Amino acid sequence: MTDPAAERFAQSMLAELPLVEAPESVWRGIEARLDAGERPRPAPVFRWPRWAFAIAAIFAIVAAIFWRASQRGWIDTGHSSQTIAIGQIGTVTIAPGTRLRVVADRPEEHRLALQHGEIHARITAPPRLFFVDTASGTAIDLGCEYTLTADDRGAGELHVTRGWVAFVWQGRESLTPAGAMVRTRPVSGPGIPYFEDASSELKRAVDGRLDVNAALGAARPRDTLTLWHLLQRVSDTDRAPVYDRIATLAPLPASIDREKVLRLDPEALKLLKEELAWTW
Amino acid sequence: MTNHPVQVTTEILAACRTGDRDAFRSLYDTYKDRVYSIALYFFHGDRAAAGDASQQVFLKLLTQIGQFRGDAEFSTWLYRMVVNTCVDMTRRRKRTTDLSDTLPAPARQHEEIEQRQVVDAVQAAVAELPEKFRIAVLLRHFDDLSYEEMAAILNCSAGTVASRLSRGHRMLAVRLKKFQERWK
Repeated sequence: MTDPAAERFAQSMLAELPLVEAPESVWRGIEARLDAGERPRPAPVFRWPRWAFAIAAIFAIVAAIFWRASQRGWIDTGHSSQTIAIGQIGTVTIAPGTRLRVVADRPEEHRLALQHGEIHARITAPPRLFFVDTASGTAIDLGCEYTLTADDRGAGELHVTRGWVAFVWQGRESLTPAGAMVRTRPVSGPGIPYFEDASSELKRAVDGRLDVNAALGAARPRDTLTLWHLLQRVSDTDRAPVYDRIATLAPLPASIDREKVLRLDPEALKLLKEELAWTW
Repeated sequence: MTNHPVQVTTEILAACRTGDRDAFRSLYDTYKDRVYSIALYFFHGDRAAAGDASQQVFLKLLTQIGQFRGDAEFSTWLYRMVVNTCVDMTRRRKRTTDLSDTLPAPARQHEEIEQRQVVDAVQAAVAELPEKFRIAVLLRHFDDLSYEEMAAILNCSAGTVASRLSRGHRMLAVRLKKFQERWK
């Protein structure tokens, strides 16, 4: 429901809020941190002789050929870890004992296939440019940093430390924000995500044999992350209590249509997620 | 507030990518007051938090400017960093700030005192808004961004932006009701 007069009044009052000049100390702090080396300095300018360019070009072409060839092969880290660049968008640190393969390396798609082991990805790019396939689904970067483990059958864990990661498998999707984790299982794909600081009761309720009542009882306002996913995984009869528990933990605006959510209407679920996600 | 900051040129951005400190200072000067003000009002008038957030934003910006592809508005990219930084800092900060410690010193003249009271009341009302409404209202106020731009910054739909602004403004109107007569 809109109230144009109230909105105009609020906007006129906001006009009283002045733009505040940033104190010079902010810039001094930035300079101090830059001087302390928080950002790599550009390389000093050095002019190479022309013959060096020719040699460098030949070397680069040969290196690129070998690099391309190696990209298409498997990477086995053995006893040491290894860090690889993901185009211009980030890096992946591969833990010892990991086997993976670079499937695609194009500006519009960077894709790895993790057979087993552990990777730590740091990606700063628009969403959905970096993918990691495992036996139980695909982790899709939504602008983030995360650690993913998997075994040959697809059992593993995803721990997100920054941003968001979507884990998808046969139409099932788990959205995991910073501070949360999700387990993946062979055959059933991604489980229900929860925050790492959630109670052990809640974790048990969604990690093992699903116990809806226990999950509802143990949920805090922040755990609407778990309950939002639970909505889509429970039977029709259990859905209403899950929705009502969400509404108790996080009062919802009138724009959220309970009936549509209970019918798992995609738009209604999205609106609900956007309302709740602010607390995640 | 509708005056846009000076458009950041591709030359300035290119110079920033090479580590040109003067170019970065120029970029900083263009946006510093808006970034600082949004952070200041977001953090309930806490100058230390606003300064810290501003520093983090500009350092992140400099570190990641090589990844700015230019296919999005620079301001959209920057404000997304502001929002993420403010939200991240809020999650880390457990204590709340006493508003009375953070507001500017009171003015002396009668008119100034009255004006100060209005500003303080608006600031307090903004500070009381839930985060998601507060950040939407501040972004809209300090830069005249479109709903689409705000949607990209806040990672939600334009409809949700419209809804948050509308609800945020209505909450402010309720909290500032005592000034309504004067406004009329």
